Amino acid sequence: MPVSEVPRLLKRAEHYVRQTKFREALALYDQAIRLEPGNAEGWSQRAAAKIEMERFAEAIADCNQALALNPNHADAWSRKGLALYHLGQYVPALAAATRAVTLNGNDASAWYVRGICLEETGKSEEAEIAYAKSLELEILLDIREEKNRVGK
Amino acid sequence: MKTNMPLTKPIRRFISETERILDTEITLLRKPEAPPGGTLLDIYTYNVDKSIILFPANYIGLLKDFVIAKQCTHLLIKGAAAKKSGYRILSYTPDSVYSGMRQVYLDALKDEAKKEKKLPVKKLIGMLFILYRQFHEDLNELPWNPIVNARIYHRMEQLRKTQLYILLKDGKQDMDEMTDMMDIVPRRYFVLDKSMFYARDLYLAKTLPSDKLMPVVNIPQMKKFDHLEVKEMLTTRWTHTAWYQSKVFGDAMLTIMEKHLSVDWNADSTLEYYACLYQVGVNLTNALLAYMTMKDWFIWENPQHLLAAQEQAATYEKAALKKIFGDLIEDS
Repeated sequence: MPVSEVPRLLKRAEHYVRQTKFREALALYDQAIRLEPGNAEGWSQRAAAKIEMERFAEAIADCNQALALNPNHADAWSRKGLALYHLGQYVPALAAATRAVTLNGNDASAWYVRGICLEETGKSEEAEIAYAKSLELEILLDIREEKNRVGK
Repeated sequence: MKTNMPLTKPIRRFISETERILDTEITLLRKPEAPPGGTLLDIYTYNVDKSIILFPANYIGLLKDFVIAKQCTHLLIKGAAAKKSGYRILSYTPDSVYSGMRQVYLDALKDEAKKEKKLPVKKLIGMLFILYRQFHEDLNELPWNPIVNARIYHRMEQLRKTQLYILLKDGKQDMDEMTDMMDIVPRRYFVLDKSMFYARDLYLAKTLPSDKLMPVVNIPQMKKFDHLEVKEMLTTRWTHTAWYQSKVFGDAMLTIMEKHLSVDWNADSTLEYYACLYQVGVNLTNALLAYMTMKDWFIWENPQHLLAAQEQAATYEKAALKKIFGDLIEDS
């Protein structure tokens, strides 16, 4: 299979993720990474599927690969933060989530994880701010979803 | 608790508390097709091994937390009832279906007599059971909504902004329901349906409190009644509209709600407290049924009774139609 097929593989894998068919998604991500190991997006997306499958340590390794290829990959930072949170490593998780929201201020999930980690590390006031930002973005997404649903 | 998603501390605590009080395990599941308010598949209603809370896949932060808080509170109410006095919900029998459909038919006839453009008979017949079931569904859900929301408001401060957004959205959606059939549905039922939602929103606007939730502020069709003086309100122009009538009946229903919902929303979480909330919900439902003269429309039964009735719904409808119309109704 040519490297040019990678975007198509990633799209199909993403479709499986949306359907919560993570095993199928993972097989396609593996294929995409084998074809193009230098594609940070492939590593980062595979990390997301692994988080859903509760393979957190592997997800962190995938995020690190993505970040080695592109240190400013916002989603990879966000996913790394989430995986670290699941492993109870709140301080590095907070650092990763903070980096994620610095690179992409519209990542509702990263703001939320940042909020939880701040709460866990005793910084309740800062956590409130992070939660408020996360909610604001989530509401915007929800309104968009609602419009799509009504449109359909 | 079984989940692989991040949760805030208060929500984790609340889930653990629910599991401890009910001595059960809760599973959280994200599903792309789940409705915005989430779904509760609980052991007290369905034949399932453990209770599952499903919520939309795009809810990743506090929106998800609110859905979980709402469904956990509802689970506590159901579970406490099941453990204490027995959990019952509104169900129906062939006789109660007949009572309800017959009443809708008589009211529809009164409406049709005044109409220039009559509703085709087939449409009218088809509408009877649809309306009956609509009220069944609404009355099994609506009275629990202010109870669950008032409890969450008082117990989970962190979720207040999220709760307000969801309630504003729900209020608009519930008021929108049926509006495309406004000219078909008998006025009485359109008004009663809207009145229930109006009263609920008004109750929550006062309880939370939030002026934004006032139906005359949040609901587009109701906005024209904001800042109107009593004299203006009583002009014929207004009194003949379904929305004005919904407001009048809704104000009366609010009094019923306030009378029945005088509860200590801050009380400690115990099985006894949630069993008491269940009784409050049952009493409120009965009061609303009495106010709407629908007392013989439904019966309180165990959830299995309703599941069986739902399977027989088409048969019940056919039998009721036969009883109302006799031989005018074909067997097919």
